[in-house]
Amino acid sequence: MSGAEKLIESQQAGAALRESEEHYRAVAEAATDAIITIDSDSTILIVNPATERIFGYSTEEMIGQPLTMLMPEYLRHLHKSGITRYLETGRKHIQWAAVQLPGLHKSGAEIPLEISFAEFTNDGRRFFTGIARDISERKRLQDKQARLARHAVLHAEVSAAVSESEKSLRAMLEICAAAVVRHLDAAFARIWLLNEEQKVLKLEASAGLYTNLDGQHAHIPLGSFKIGLIAAEQKPHLTNSVQSDDRVSDKDWAQREGMISFAGYPLLVEGRTVGVIAMFAQESLEQDTIEALESVAPIIAQGIERKRTQDTLRETQRLIQAIFDNSSAVIHVKDLDGRFLLVNRKFEEVVGLKSQEILGKTSFDLFPLNASAYDAADREVIETGSASETEEVLITERGNHIFLTTKSLLSDESGKPYALFGISAEITERKKVESDLREIQAELAHLNRVMTVGELTASIAHEINQPLAAIVMNGNAALRWLALDPPNLARARDSAELIIRDGDRASHVIARIRALLKKAPPSKTLLDVNEFVLEVVDLTQSEMVRNRVRLRVELAGDLPRVPGDRIQLQQVMLNLIANAVEAMRAIQDRQRALLITTDIIDNTVVRLAVSDNGPGIDSQTAQHLFNAFSTTKPEGMGVGLAISRSIIEAHGGRLWTEANDEFGATFQFTLPIVANES
Amino acid sequence: MTAPKPIIFIVDDDPSIRLALENLVSSTGQQAETHATAQDFLRDCPRDPAGCLVLDVQMPGLSGLDLQGELDHAGIHLPVIFITGHGDIPTTVRAMKAGAVEFLTKPVSDSELLAAINQAIEHDRLARADRAEVAQLRDRHEQLTPKEREVMELVVQGLLNKQIALKLNNSEITIKQHRGKVMQKMRADSLADLVRMAERLSSPGSPPM
Repeated sequence: MSGAEKLIESQQAGAALRESEEHYRAVAEAATDAIITIDSDSTILIVNPATERIFGYSTEEMIGQPLTMLMPEYLRHLHKSGITRYLETGRKHIQWAAVQLPGLHKSGAEIPLEISFAEFTNDGRRFFTGIARDISERKRLQDKQARLARHAVLHAEVSAAVSESEKSLRAMLEICAAAVVRHLDAAFARIWLLNEEQKVLKLEASAGLYTNLDGQHAHIPLGSFKIGLIAAEQKPHLTNSVQSDDRVSDKDWAQREGMISFAGYPLLVEGRTVGVIAMFAQESLEQDTIEALESVAPIIAQGIERKRTQDTLRETQRLIQAIFDNSSAVIHVKDLDGRFLLVNRKFEEVVGLKSQEILGKTSFDLFPLNASAYDAADREVIETGSASETEEVLITERGNHIFLTTKSLLSDESGKPYALFGISAEITERKKVESDLREIQAELAHLNRVMTVGELTASIAHEINQPLAAIVMNGNAALRWLALDPPNLARARDSAELIIRDGDRASHVIARIRALLKKAPPSKTLLDVNEFVLEVVDLTQSEMVRNRVRLRVELAGDLPRVPGDRIQLQQVMLNLIANAVEAMRAIQDRQRALLITTDIIDNTVVRLAVSDNGPGIDSQTAQHLFNAFSTTKPEGMGVGLAISRSIIEAHGGRLWTEANDEFGATFQFTLPIVANES
Repeated sequence: MTAPKPIIFIVDDDPSIRLALENLVSSTGQQAETHATAQDFLRDCPRDPAGCLVLDVQMPGLSGLDLQGELDHAGIHLPVIFITGHGDIPTTVRAMKAGAVEFLTKPVSDSELLAAINQAIEHDRLARADRAEVAQLRDRHEQLTPKEREVMELVVQGLLNKQIALKLNNSEITIKQHRGKVMQKMRADSLADLVRMAERLSSPGSPPM
């Protein structure tokens, strides 16, 4: 059969069909699906208008042509053998209902089709009708949906990775790169991190075709190559044609490996580049794929930032904990509800509990005996907002501990307090030492009194010896007066009177010394200052004589009485006089002169001053003159002035020294007229 | 020349002691004179006092030791009894070297003190006698001519008249005459007497005790 004959035959057959199927044609005309009728030789007999639209050919171009013209090359053979077999055996090589097969557009592009087949016989000839629906739009949507689903998974995986706090930064980045490879069909994906100081991008993660982190891309200078430029410019670089892209340097490699596309995004945090994520793919990248990469980039960037902050924070925490743990101070941090947030090793030691047993609990849970006191101090700090220093007692099985605790509020950036910081130093030992010291001081005061008296031993011995010697002599004289013949009774009586007077004098001296030596508790009485000064002067008179000191006493008249402890103040006065006398011992070239004065200042205080003309006090000595155990005397204990000052201060007065105009120094103290309990 | 009645001079700044000492001394029938300070005593002291001085070592102003020096300086030769409340060795030694006869520590027993006073008065009496003798000898010695003094000096050295004549380039006769004048003026009974007198004159300060 020639071509012309065949064509005529087809037209005749078609005409016959048309006559019989007039109403069906109307349907076919209106259909959006391609309806193609072929004969058993697969020659196209009838096409509807939709066929033209779907395949791009005109009806004339298709009629009489083999159906295979509408199939991709690779399906044509299958079709021929399949239909031949069906005609011979009745066995279908494909499903006839809604089978999806690609068609071939006139342009050469494949068209996704959903095809159903039907067979009919007319005049003993077998015909086949295929209904093909263009499903490219549906297919595109489906693909997109699938991609979007994968993108959602990518998003989720990346988000999960970056919020995973236990993993290292590198592990996190590796998960992200792998997710990009898996869900964006990348050939490989890599992440670099920027070292801002060195201006270098360092390869941190690589997944897919390449997983090595060394090699020529391990370190990329900022601003160099496509990765360095992405980082420097903070702009993504995208291409679906790596062969024609200026920035792809190794085109041979790309050709060899079939790389089609590249996408690289800067990883930005608040306008700062922290790194770059990039991928190569062996197919073109859909817009949504690019968008997917674009959408995970900031998540990864944030993740990097958070991780670094976390690491820094963790490092800082470790550092702080290490410092805390190595501190001898007892340190704790509580939240504002009083729950322990952090304690150091010393804290654990002191309370005898492990941190796991402490954290999250309150003082009421842990130290019920002392908690309310701690809590009151905490509350005060929280309410006032200012740091406080309190002494706190902790009662444990091993005994009582006393702490000096400084508490302060910890506030966030906005100034809102969120925790209470407490740092305590154990002062149990110090308190004990302090109390011991107080005892020692009392002892010393006593000792010093004795010692001062000791310094005046000769003086006191003289004071007692004088009247005693006189008594003995007068007694002897009396006996002699009585032994005369006749006895001289008048002189004997005179002698007895002298004895009584001297006896009285001796007992006065004894009483004064006893009072001086007695470790009497401070008892304040109203003192006549002048009288009190004269008493002391009386006690030291002989000492001055012995040292050839000329004494002048200038007392102000009408001094009010002042409250004070007579013994203690006498002690101070004695001390000042003894010091002055001592100081003047070195003087050979002038008369040693001591001036003792009393006066009243501003009607508020009475001043007592002891002024010598000794060598005076050099400024270096003056600095620690009143310190305990500071002395310039070879035999001195150095406690006199220290104790004297504390006595005067206990009286609400002041003890100080001034250099005299010409020679020596004046030591003076004041006593308030009105009792001033300080 | 009759010896004046000795006076016990008491110098002590402490009125109790002063009065008690005076009382004690008076009760033995001796005359006491009290002074509160060394200066007072120096001012009121007679030209050539007889007796002794009872001194407190430590006194305001002039101390006992200072007074002792002052008295020496003024040519007043009173034996001194020191009384001290606290006799330390250096002070004691210094006082004794300066001529104190006794150093007593308070409280002083009356017998000790009175014995010391009696001893001091006796000491003073002898010293005064000695001083009087030396003064007499010096007066006599003043009466000699220069030539006679020369001769006396050589005579007491034990030279013979002939040797003296040779040494002084005089005749033996002339020397003999001078020697007779010396013996007469010095009221010496013998050569030995003259030698003793010469010794006293050469060391007038040391009493024969």
